[in-house]
Amino acid sequence: MNAVIDVQHLKKIFNNETALQDVSFTIKKGEIFGFLGPSGSGKTTTIKILTAQTDKSAGNVLLFGQHASEMKKSQNRKRFGILTDNSGLYTRLSIEENLILYSNLYQLSQSAVKEALDFVNLYAERKKKISQLSKGMIQRVTLARAIMHKPELLFLDEPTSALDPVNTQHIYNGLRKLNAMGTTIFLTTHDMSEAEILCDRVAFLHKGKIRAIGTPKDLKKEFGSDTITVELKNGEQEIIENGSQDAEKLFQWMQSDQVTRIYTNEPTLGDIFMQITGSDLV
Amino acid sequence: MNISMTRIQAILMKDYKEFSRNYAVSTMVLLPLIMAFLYNRLGANTISMYFLPINMTFSIVTTYVQCSLIAEEKEKNTLRSLMLSPASLGDILIGKSLFVLIVTIVSVTMAIFLVGYEPANLFILAIALLLSAVFYIALGTICGLFAKSIMEASIIVLPVMVIFSFGPLALALSSAYPILKLAEWLPSSQLLLLAEALEGKYSMADVLIPMITIIVWSLLSWIFAAIIYKKRMVD
Repeated sequence: MNAVIDVQHLKKIFNNETALQDVSFTIKKGEIFGFLGPSGSGKTTTIKILTAQTDKSAGNVLLFGQHASEMKKSQNRKRFGILTDNSGLYTRLSIEENLILYSNLYQLSQSAVKEALDFVNLYAERKKKISQLSKGMIQRVTLARAIMHKPELLFLDEPTSALDPVNTQHIYNGLRKLNAMGTTIFLTTHDMSEAEILCDRVAFLHKGKIRAIGTPKDLKKEFGSDTITVELKNGEQEIIENGSQDAEKLFQWMQSDQVTRIYTNEPTLGDIFMQITGSDLV
Repeated sequence: MNISMTRIQAILMKDYKEFSRNYAVSTMVLLPLIMAFLYNRLGANTISMYFLPINMTFSIVTTYVQCSLIAEEKEKNTLRSLMLSPASLGDILIGKSLFVLIVTIVSVTMAIFLVGYEPANLFILAIALLLSAVFYIALGTICGLFAKSIMEASIIVLPVMVIFSFGPLALALSSAYPILKLAEWLPSSQLLLLAEALEGKYSMADVLIPMITIIVWSLLSWIFAAIIYKKRMVD
């Protein structure tokens, strides 16, 4: 198997409190994997362990077939990029100066800075100091820094949390483009629509445990009911089985021109999360 | 350890730009220079008087600037970002220290000139000053790693400034308080003793003992700084 990330029975204890408990998942090369859960569920801790910012308490964590602790090495840090809620940008420097610093640390050509700025739609603003930028713009600069060395693996911690719809769409398009070029993406979010739009597979994390894992389609199939809602002109809503037993009923409504709307009762990922954990994602 | 000149230079240039735009920290460089100028005007003519602004430069410029730069990186989470880049511990520490070393060399040279000190043996003194700078940078690194913010850094660095700048003055009271004899082994006192020896007929021991003492302080401080860095920067 071509696994970029392989996590088995991961456990993390902070000050006698269990932050992660028996977490196991595998991410294949080229996948966009969504790690979904409310604040405090252990998403950021998982990223910190994967990127060797903190040590695990137990379990096996492999990235590119190497132990996560090996990610401290310079040559391995070139293989991944990371965007977190803390930008870590130098506020007295301009956007361009910040990116030039990192292009030198990654030993990239100067064209990488322009490419990254174009990617996040900030080339025209490149001379602005970080201290003058909005939260959304800072998020875009951080993303530019994370992708400028074209990493094999990209960690995104709530990447569009501070962005407006236009820039969110711009980022989605860019991420799809990066993914099409072979970048594996590990995305944490509590935005279900974002996960549905971007992710090939998702895992639901709740109180440090993975409660479900799969493609959004399979999860909907597994946890959804196979019914159809029919809205009739008299204002009534009828829920019927999606099968031959209720086909006659539907046919009659349609024949007598009573139907206003028909839709499947597919649950959202948020509904499934609530169903599994009994709590909301926010 | 993986060391890259490109990365060291990138960190050095970044620190220069940040420092030149951070007036709260960069103006601190002027304090010991003003003091050196005033001492000269007051008629400074002894080695102890000459070395007061020089040792202050090491505390205020070298230690404080290094401490502030590191504390600010921690406060703004930029150090974490640097650590997640290919920059190694060596690249980060050398890059930052090199900048502070350059600022120190310029400041100490200016302080010596302004206070009117004309050393008898500039070569030996320059080596001792350079070794002292390395020690004070380590001290600043340790203070910066302990501080969580720039505000905290300015407080943490205060006792360090007092002990190392004014430590040699405590020697004058050592006959009344024998415990103060210990101050003789401070790098600032050793630097002073070396400078005094250089003014007259000096033996090899007069030069080597202060030099070795300062080197030992530097080595121990850097080892301690590296341990603290590794401990503090992993959650």
